[in-house]
Amino acid sequence: MKGTELNYGDLEGVFKGLLENKVVDCLIMPRRVGNSVSYMLVRDKDKIATPESVIFAPSFGVNAANIVKGWMIAEKVGIVAKPCEIRAAIELIKLTQLNEDSVLLITVDCAGAFANEVYAANYADIGDHVDSAKIKELAGKGISIRDACAICDNRLADVGDIAIAQAGGEKAVVAGLTEKGEEALSAAGLSLEDKELDRAAEKEKIAAEAKQNLEGLPKISSEEALEEFLRDCIVCKNCRDVCPVCYCKECFFDQPLGNPAGGDLLNLAEARGAIEVPTNQLLYHLTRVYHVSTTCVACGACEDACPKDIPLTRFYPVLAKKVQEVFEYVPGKDAKEPLPFTTYEEDELEECLR
Amino acid sequence: MGEEKGGFEPKIVGFTCNWCTYAGADLAGTSRKKYPPNARLIRMMCTARFDPMFAFKALLNGADGVFISGCHPGECHYIKGNFYARRRIAAMRTILKQLGLDDRVKSYWISASEGVKFANTMKNITEEIRELGPNPMRDKIL
Repeated sequence: MKGTELNYGDLEGVFKGLLENKVVDCLIMPRRVGNSVSYMLVRDKDKIATPESVIFAPSFGVNAANIVKGWMIAEKVGIVAKPCEIRAAIELIKLTQLNEDSVLLITVDCAGAFANEVYAANYADIGDHVDSAKIKELAGKGISIRDACAICDNRLADVGDIAIAQAGGEKAVVAGLTEKGEEALSAAGLSLEDKELDRAAEKEKIAAEAKQNLEGLPKISSEEALEEFLRDCIVCKNCRDVCPVCYCKECFFDQPLGNPAGGDLLNLAEARGAIEVPTNQLLYHLTRVYHVSTTCVACGACEDACPKDIPLTRFYPVLAKKVQEVFEYVPGKDAKEPLPFTTYEEDELEECLR
Repeated sequence: MGEEKGGFEPKIVGFTCNWCTYAGADLAGTSRKKYPPNARLIRMMCTARFDPMFAFKALLNGADGVFISGCHPGECHYIKGNFYARRRIAAMRTILKQLGLDDRVKSYWISASEGVKFANTMKNITEEIRELGPNPMRDKIL
């Protein structure tokens, strides 16, 4: 791996260099708006100001991969985002919803994030960046990271083309993870040297914590519990719309069969005596969890987007993780690894069918 | 219906492939093998046509049991359809297991020459589902 250690203040030059030297045609990167953080699509390098104050900011609003979903364009887009967002972008590449040659994936270390409204409201306490000790301290004050972040074991910048890792103090390591990434950094004007990012011990510690937090989440383990869990769902399908890996152009649940109305609905009610309306609440969530079961990157955008505050992290990421364990598949880890449903082995899985 | 006579007769929806299990059911019939008539077979050209949504929908609409059956792995009429199906069924059943809904879903491999196996499987699944009792979702407003 080739990279270089930079002061926070020098990061601005890296992003400007990427645009200036036409390494990318535009960047999707966080920007600060008052106390909040949101994304911007930037083409003019002069619009980039003090990126070090936002790229590490522990705030999660939308999944950046959802912005570029379906962008089959020739121009090159650089995406500066958290590991879960970059992993979603890699899944989109595999799902042919994103052109691999037209993106430069720049992953930033994440220590866990707060929902963006929580971040903005508590900006004075949280600040521009946090580490695990700070997160514990904030939890003591009742300011907690999102459930999805608490159970995340993939928050170090080790996917995509370029990693921006926190190196302690006000320093960051910028390194190319792929040949494409190294070339991009050189072209942006950085002088690179051999750099090893050995963070196996840290990764293990995060994984152990994440596992403990996952086990601490309440389980949905019966039909009654599932009904209870989804009781307040209004089938607005927001969780689908914000999901970076839910990508069908025409969703079944937007079509007459999946979203019956009028006479169709009356016929269904005739057959069963009475039906729940809005209809297909359970069918929608069961079908959707199956659809994203192998590609869910556990970003938790679904929970954030739920207008009824249903803690969907206990449903989508938790169930998807179990399916991913069956296929020994980590979404977004390797762009070359085929999606589980597009490949098979002749002798496998019989124990799952019993 | 059976229920009126006091006993519970489960309704079972079976998704079967045209080339193996459906032909196996045919063989069971022409061989005069007796088996309970509780399963309603839905013929698909291949188990790869099976979408887990079919099973979810059947269960939510009150089917007491659901099964999927096709050619043995490696013997698919379309060479590899059932390999893909097996992955999808495994994912579906993993999800249902977590939610405690898996006991009403079964999957088998039954070839066109296994008429006896088909008849026995129908006996077994009917008994298993009968023991579980009616699907509670049948009477719910869902």
